[in-house]
Amino acid sequence: MSSHREAPEISKDPVADSTDVYAFVSPDKPDTVTLIANYIPLQEPSGGPNFYEFGDDVLYGIHIDNNGDGYPDISYEFRFSTQVLDENTFLYNTGPIEAINSPYFNRRQFYDLTVVYGDSHQTVGVNLACPPCNIGPLSTPNYNTVAGQAIHHLDHGIRVFAGQRAEAFYVDLGSIFDLGDLRPFENLHATFGLPGLAAKPGVNATNHLNVHSIAIQVPISSVTRHGHPSIGVWTTASRQSATVWDADHGEKVSSGPWRQVSRLGNPLVNELINPLGKKDLWNSLPPSDDKLFAEYVAHPGLAALLPTLYPGVFPNLAKLVAAGTARADLEAILLTGIPAGIVPGFTNFTGKVLADMLRLNTSIKPTPTAKQSIYGLLGGDAGGFPNGRRVTDDVVAIELRALAGVTYALVDKTYKPDAAAGELTDGLTPASVSSKTTGTFPYLGEPYSGYNDPS
Amino acid sequence: MSSQDAERPSEQARRLSRRTMLRGAATAGAAGLAVTAIGSAASPAFAATTNQSQSHRAPQVAGPIMVHVRDAKSGDIEVFSGTSKTRLRDKDLAARIARAIG
Repeated sequence: MSSHREAPEISKDPVADSTDVYAFVSPDKPDTVTLIANYIPLQEPSGGPNFYEFGDDVLYGIHIDNNGDGYPDISYEFRFSTQVLDENTFLYNTGPIEAINSPYFNRRQFYDLTVVYGDSHQTVGVNLACPPCNIGPLSTPNYNTVAGQAIHHLDHGIRVFAGQRAEAFYVDLGSIFDLGDLRPFENLHATFGLPGLAAKPGVNATNHLNVHSIAIQVPISSVTRHGHPSIGVWTTASRQSATVWDADHGEKVSSGPWRQVSRLGNPLVNELINPLGKKDLWNSLPPSDDKLFAEYVAHPGLAALLPTLYPGVFPNLAKLVAAGTARADLEAILLTGIPAGIVPGFTNFTGKVLADMLRLNTSIKPTPTAKQSIYGLLGGDAGGFPNGRRVTDDVVAIELRALAGVTYALVDKTYKPDAAAGELTDGLTPASVSSKTTGTFPYLGEPYSGYNDPS
Repeated sequence: MSSQDAERPSEQARRLSRRTMLRGAATAGAAGLAVTAIGSAASPAFAATTNQSQSHRAPQVAGPIMVHVRDAKSGDIEVFSGTSKTRLRDKDLAARIARAIG
């Protein structure tokens, strides 16, 4: 979660496995939007000597739909290449890396950035340097300084960064995947006849783990159409169709057209809503095809499961599910954007095409930090999810509450959500993340080092 | 530069220089994958086709060419090169590939 190891095939291909997408109006530069796509989930910081890196054989993309058809109008494409200075050592670095061009930085990555507008391709960055992974006080003594040198300022007002960062997504994986247990509410869990459990605080399973992040900041004016401030955002990873293992040289060789193997827009959709047998198919398709999966949004399995897992806690949700009511609220939040008139003064509707995209109304100014709610729109804060997604938004609680029926009342004024629905949480907050967001591009916190954060 | 240009020139050259004609496997009646490159030596069964192609000035293709015989009986073949794929229906070619791997 939110899309870590979410589908059977992609879980075996972590380099191409998208984990989270964030899209928000940059709080410190509000004429720009920041788009972040994370890959390579659950990185244990001491995982050397071959530390984590992007795939040279993967085409990474961050896409924007600005006319509501579920197809990309603008794509930022990233291709990586790895350079090894000395192949006769086993070391990732042969001394302290104190600058991004340090001769001791032995195995390093670079990337090209291409902007695609329809059939037009424009390469705007070539051989852009990635920072090293954060290893420890001897190898990466001034990590933030070196990472800062990996922020590249390009033409057209683009800023870009690609490299390791701290995982910002907080979630109690260990509890949730134990048959839908939420530690703060596990005293209410059915427990399948096993001995009851006592309520406990949540445990952030992703704390002290890293991801590889692609972050790009672009002028809002470059991604929106005049008079249409809402955009849809998603990321993809693609591999070439044919790959063979070249045993003579100990490497894979690829050829043929790019084929999409991973996709992510809204958090947790492929994770929690699509069924197991459709997840890798969903990963291979564009958002424009999401009408194929609309029934899973309209009738989510987790909403049906909650009254069973927590007997007596969700009586109104149980009736809603039993009636076979299609969840127009979830369809709006996840597949079309919220039309005007549903939430007073707010819309991020992009059109009638059912497409899973993270929708951001770029005309809504960033909410000052002191006034932000981690529950985003549910907390009265239109600067947060599902209006885009900020790094600190509690998307687990927001989506659990929505699935439990809180948002159905927006489309059916006669529906009364269960009291517990509005309280659902896995017990975590941004305070559960040790490495804090930086407040400036690329916003995700300093990656945990292997020396300081061993497993 | 197009993002579809998968390999940098130096990488392409490095790979071309080391390719032999036929690697991998293709099995009769089942899916198989072979890797080849222009201008290299070939096994006897495949060499005739390669030489014939060269005599007709085959286009120079950078990087590996991969051949996936989806079904040798029907001659259903996919050929991957660069970022493109060509689908062929050629029973004779499929049979010769199958014979080449014994």
